[in-house]
Amino acid sequence: MDIGVTVGALLTLAIYSFLYRDNPYYKVAEHILLGVSVGYFVVTTITSTLVPKLFESIIRNGNFIYLIPGLLGALMFLRFSRRLAPVSRIPLSLIIGVGAGVAIPANMQAQIIAQVKATMLPLGSISNIIIVVAVLTVLVYFYFSREHKGIIGAGAKAGIYFLMIFFGTTFGYTVMARISLLIGRLQYLLGDWLGLIK
Amino acid sequence: MLVQFFVPHRASTTLYEMVLDWVQIIYAFSLLVGAAMLVRHHAKTALRPSAKDRPYSLIVLSGIGIMLVTGLFSSRGPGTAFLWIFQNVQAPMQATMFSLLSFFVASAAYRGFRARNTQAIFLLAAAVLVMLGRVPVGEMITSYFPDGADWLLNVPSMAARRGIYIGIALGTIATSLRVILGIERTYLGGK
Amino acid sequence: MIADQRNSASLQTRHFIFILVAVSVALPLIFKIGLPLKVTAEVQGAYDFIDELPEGSAVIFSFDHDTGTLPEMIPLAEALLRHCFKKNLKVLGLALLAEGAAVGDDNFRRIGNEYNKIYGVDYLFWGYRPQVTVAILGMGENIERVFPADYTGKDLRSFPVMQNIRNYHDIAAVITVADGDMPVSWVHYGQARYGVKVIPAVTAVMATTIYPFLQSGQVAGLIAGLRGAAEYEKLIGIPGKASRGMDAQSSAHILIIGLIIAGNIILIRERRRKRS
Repeated sequence: MDIGVTVGALLTLAIYSFLYRDNPYYKVAEHILLGVSVGYFVVTTITSTLVPKLFESIIRNGNFIYLIPGLLGALMFLRFSRRLAPVSRIPLSLIIGVGAGVAIPANMQAQIIAQVKATMLPLGSISNIIIVVAVLTVLVYFYFSREHKGIIGAGAKAGIYFLMIFFGTTFGYTVMARISLLIGRLQYLLGDWLGLIK
Repeated sequence: MLVQFFVPHRASTTLYEMVLDWVQIIYAFSLLVGAAMLVRHHAKTALRPSAKDRPYSLIVLSGIGIMLVTGLFSSRGPGTAFLWIFQNVQAPMQATMFSLLSFFVASAAYRGFRARNTQAIFLLAAAVLVMLGRVPVGEMITSYFPDGADWLLNVPSMAARRGIYIGIALGTIATSLRVILGIERTYLGGK
Repeated sequence: MIADQRNSASLQTRHFIFILVAVSVALPLIFKIGLPLKVTAEVQGAYDFIDELPEGSAVIFSFDHDTGTLPEMIPLAEALLRHCFKKNLKVLGLALLAEGAAVGDDNFRRIGNEYNKIYGVDYLFWGYRPQVTVAILGMGENIERVFPADYTGKDLRSFPVMQNIRNYHDIAAVITVADGDMPVSWVHYGQARYGVKVIPAVTAVMATTIYPFLQSGQVAGLIAGLRGAAEYEKLIGIPGKASRGMDAQSSAHILIIGLIIAGNIILIRERRRKRS
């Protein structure tokens, strides 16, 4: 029996003890997970991104222009100082601004133009009619600038039913996903650890 | 970045690549700031002998310390302590945490998923059809289950999701324009 | 006292349900049934796209998930990697979530060894990059600028597999194994701007999110959840953990549906009692 698998299995059982009730074994396991995952995250961020892109660019390749993003990044730690905290907003603004700038054409292309184009279907089949009606009525439902009365109200009501179908299918798939995670854990406990699955 | 999309000139592309590069480095620092905040919180608790959660904070800090030592001062490939801890401590526990939800979903299915009105009936019917249509036993009972699930997913459900997407995209574009024009400043702590 | 009795009664019901769930999943895993599985059009579409790629084509394989969803992600990744290696495609890996880096590196080495593939010649793992948007956009211009070195820290230009690969124009497809909305980001910033084909392999929770992109042709197929992985395993002819889990998936779903029906019978009875 692999010692690593045994350690993993015992920690798995400690987490599952929560199903009975909250207890110290679960709390210890939870905090071990928190510490180890944050540590992993920090190591990976430093070694995968900062070392090759920042430190090696400056030290090994002599690309001193990278001192600018390095300095901007370091400014973020000023959040811990009450007096200098506003300075940490400068690099944050850069990130938000870049995100806003690239989001506009991306959303326009991928989520509006392409999706509207795909909705322009020949109305020769019931499925195509339902697709067009569903998209329109759902959009009407999310239009809150006019009161949902009359024809807008009827459209919004129809939109709700299509949304319920969407939520239902998502729920069905969510149940499937959760059960799949349990299947994986039981395969680990019963197969990899106890050898009961042949 | 918005203007660059429409200007394929070499200078524009060079500036674009440089900005993307810099943002990645700055963003990496922001992730480290988040980790530092967590360490600060647990360190404060650990340094107070009377704190109720002191032992747990010490566990968190020990976990972080062990991963930093094994990861930063030695290699991280196959056969190393860093990877062993990841594969046998972190991965099993995190997967188990998520799998707890399967039990709660079952409990909620019994106690909460009630068809109280017509809309709820639509929701539950769609859910049951997908749950039966996407497993082998449903396919064995009748082909209407998988065919029905396929139709539901590819027609009404897909269309509703598309409506949501278009709405979200319009909202995202509006918010992005507000950020660029300086109208939206909540991310800076403003109103 | 009555409140305590009620609390202890609901406590017992909950625990009984938990035990039923565990048993409904465990028994079919131990005592294999082997129910037949049908392949859906979405998974077939993804399979056909990869199968029709010429030998030597380069594909990006992105591990965009954390360790919480490994039971779904690993079977998906393994089945797709096996197909790519079987087709002798050049596979270039990365991770857009930190935990995907260690998982991806391990999967590449394990599956690569199965097919006698050589690191740096047949496949390469670039490692992790934060900030999804910027990483995807950056690779559209110059991959080496985003990843100057591989996961082990070696210069990217030193690897033969990176010859003639500069950006998405040299990439046949991006396969994203994701547990969040990363495939949407790949479509927004990779497919929409640079035209690269995206094949999402997602956790079942995210499946309904991808269908609009499937219908519009913005993605080439969809492989969702453990079920999708089982279908893919059937297509490549190598059954694995996903195929084995389908019996348990069936029995658990029947249980959940039974619980929903039982709960609704109680609702109907309560309503009748109130009326009378």
